Amino acid sequence: MEKTYAIFRWELKKIFSNWHKTVTLFLLPAVLMMLALNIFPLLINYMSTGSFSKKPIILVGAPKTFHDYVSENADANVYSYTDISYKELSEIFSEEGKLKSLLKGGTVICYFGSDNGDADFDKMISEYYQELVKGNSQAQSHAVIYLGLDGNSLTGQLRAEQFKQGVLNSYKSSLIDRLGGDYANIGSNLFSTDSFNPVTKLMDNRSPADRAAARIVPGMLLIMMYYCVYSLASDMFASEKERGFWAKLIMTPVSSVQIFAGKILAILVIVSGATYLTALLLFFSSWLNTSNDAMSLLPFGMMLTPSELLIVIVTIPFTVFVMTAVCISTIFSLKKMQDITVNLQLPLVFFLGDFFCQMFRGTRPMTLEYFIPMHNSLALMSESYMAQEKLWHVFAVLIVNTLVALIALRVTYKKEGLYDKSK
Amino acid sequence: MIRVNDVHKSYTKDTETIKGVSFEIGKGTIFGLLGPNGAGKTTLMQIIATLMKPTSGTVEIGGMSPEKDLLKIHRLIGFLTTEIKLDPVSTPNDLFDFFADLYDIPKEEIKQRKEKAFERFGITPFAKRRISELSTGMKQKISIAISLLHEPPIIIFDEPTNGLDILTSRQVTDYLKELRSEGRCILLSTHIFSVAEELCDEVAILVDGKIVAQGTVDELIKLSGEKNFEDAFFKIYVENHKEEK
Repeated sequence: MEKTYAIFRWELKKIFSNWHKTVTLFLLPAVLMMLALNIFPLLINYMSTGSFSKKPIILVGAPKTFHDYVSENADANVYSYTDISYKELSEIFSEEGKLKSLLKGGTVICYFGSDNGDADFDKMISEYYQELVKGNSQAQSHAVIYLGLDGNSLTGQLRAEQFKQGVLNSYKSSLIDRLGGDYANIGSNLFSTDSFNPVTKLMDNRSPADRAAARIVPGMLLIMMYYCVYSLASDMFASEKERGFWAKLIMTPVSSVQIFAGKILAILVIVSGATYLTALLLFFSSWLNTSNDAMSLLPFGMMLTPSELLIVIVTIPFTVFVMTAVCISTIFSLKKMQDITVNLQLPLVFFLGDFFCQMFRGTRPMTLEYFIPMHNSLALMSESYMAQEKLWHVFAVLIVNTLVALIALRVTYKKEGLYDKSK
Repeated sequence: MIRVNDVHKSYTKDTETIKGVSFEIGKGTIFGLLGPNGAGKTTLMQIIATLMKPTSGTVEIGGMSPEKDLLKIHRLIGFLTTEIKLDPVSTPNDLFDFFADLYDIPKEEIKQRKEKAFERFGITPFAKRRISELSTGMKQKISIAISLLHEPPIIIFDEPTNGLDILTSRQVTDYLKELRSEGRCILLSTHIFSVAEELCDEVAILVDGKIVAQGTVDELIKLSGEKNFEDAFFKIYVENHKEEK
């Protein structure tokens, strides 16, 4: 144990005494991932609209209740709004091509009005509630909100959908308080909302953010883990073998099992630490992302319960262990440094593919997936973010990854043709 | 101290790199393995240094077998090669301390041994500099200091002066003579005739994985009927080398 610890300390010292390596391992992947998260929506914006900037929501005839709602509601406040009158809208309509070019850029028009020609939206709602108060259960509201968008603009469609789900639906509920007070008093509490309770607020935001995180974060962490394991294993094993330093270590009166153990332990600690840091930055990134962009990959309010968090924390070192074993196995089964480098990079392609599949897949992981080493970690973490994890999933992932790692290391050790120092 | 008995090594089924090599080296002797590139010198050195298992045959170090007493053998051997490149970001100080720790040298003794070794090779002014900032000669001297920090009775040195300038090369050969006078057993491989002539008490010429001649430098010259060692080597080599078809 003492020698394992000496080698572990030596490897840590080598990394932390070199600030280039420290930054490359700890900060660079996290920063790159954060950049990717933020640049991706901009890129999609540009690809679908030809512009990086976010277009405003144009409000036509927006009633006072809507403006009141926006000023009081943080979720609604993240959009930029431009108010125009019905007259200005008809001018846009009359000018040839203007409406088309406006919507093509991703702009959404939100029209408040009524379906019987009377355009006062608030008045229509008020009348509806009054009918309800009078006991007319068959009362129909004539108030309508139309959303105008370009069907070919992906950003426009997504922004309209997000605006509808996140703002208009809540606004609809808030109308009960604003205009239907009498009805609420007479009727029931069915429509009352506890909008000032921070816990309710948190849980309201949690679900959509966690669903998005389940698609993005595990895949990103897996890529980041493999990148770090690959860099460290190349340095600690492949480069040392090439430099002849490995032979110098093997020639010491320390068993090769202890040498392997010390180095693997160093990789486990460094990579797990770097991954936790990245996960933490992604968490903060979510909580700082108040832009609520339609294409945002990590929306506001990612939140894990303690048990879900524990699963993610435990899964990471076991994943790093199996990745390390795979890298060591590759390094010791090949002779030329060039072949080693190419072969070590191949799994990155697999992890990238896995990341994109997870991002766009609409189904939950199958049972079999929990028995595929490394990929099973992605499945388990995704399920944890979705609050769908099961205890046997956790055990399956930990056992499968550990077993595969130990077998790979054993086979490598045997193949090396070294004398058995344990004798 | 070193006994090599009918050692064979094959990397593949069809080709044999080492073909039944046997020799013995005693205390206070420098034994040179001389041969062209590809003769199997490095493979043989690695087998003797226990870095590689022979396909057949045995190696005994200090009367012990690597199969049974590997860790004990490693305390007896100092293995040096110019091929070893030290970690570029480490300092000589750190490397010395690290390896001393692995050899279980008491802390109070590490300091003494380090000062002595660093003084001997003029490393002291560079002790806290990174390896990447040092010259090739200095790196080699640091490598020697680290490889011998546990004061091993057996030293295996692959190409000791390869790639070194005249001054450093001289320092290394002087040091090897000093170690011999202390009664250490030294096995070195080289393809430089002057090094073999100057240092070796006994030389074995390795051609195509086989020892084709063995003895003192004078004996080999006499055996070949040539005037000097270089000509003697070429004659022995040509007589024994078979061109691959």
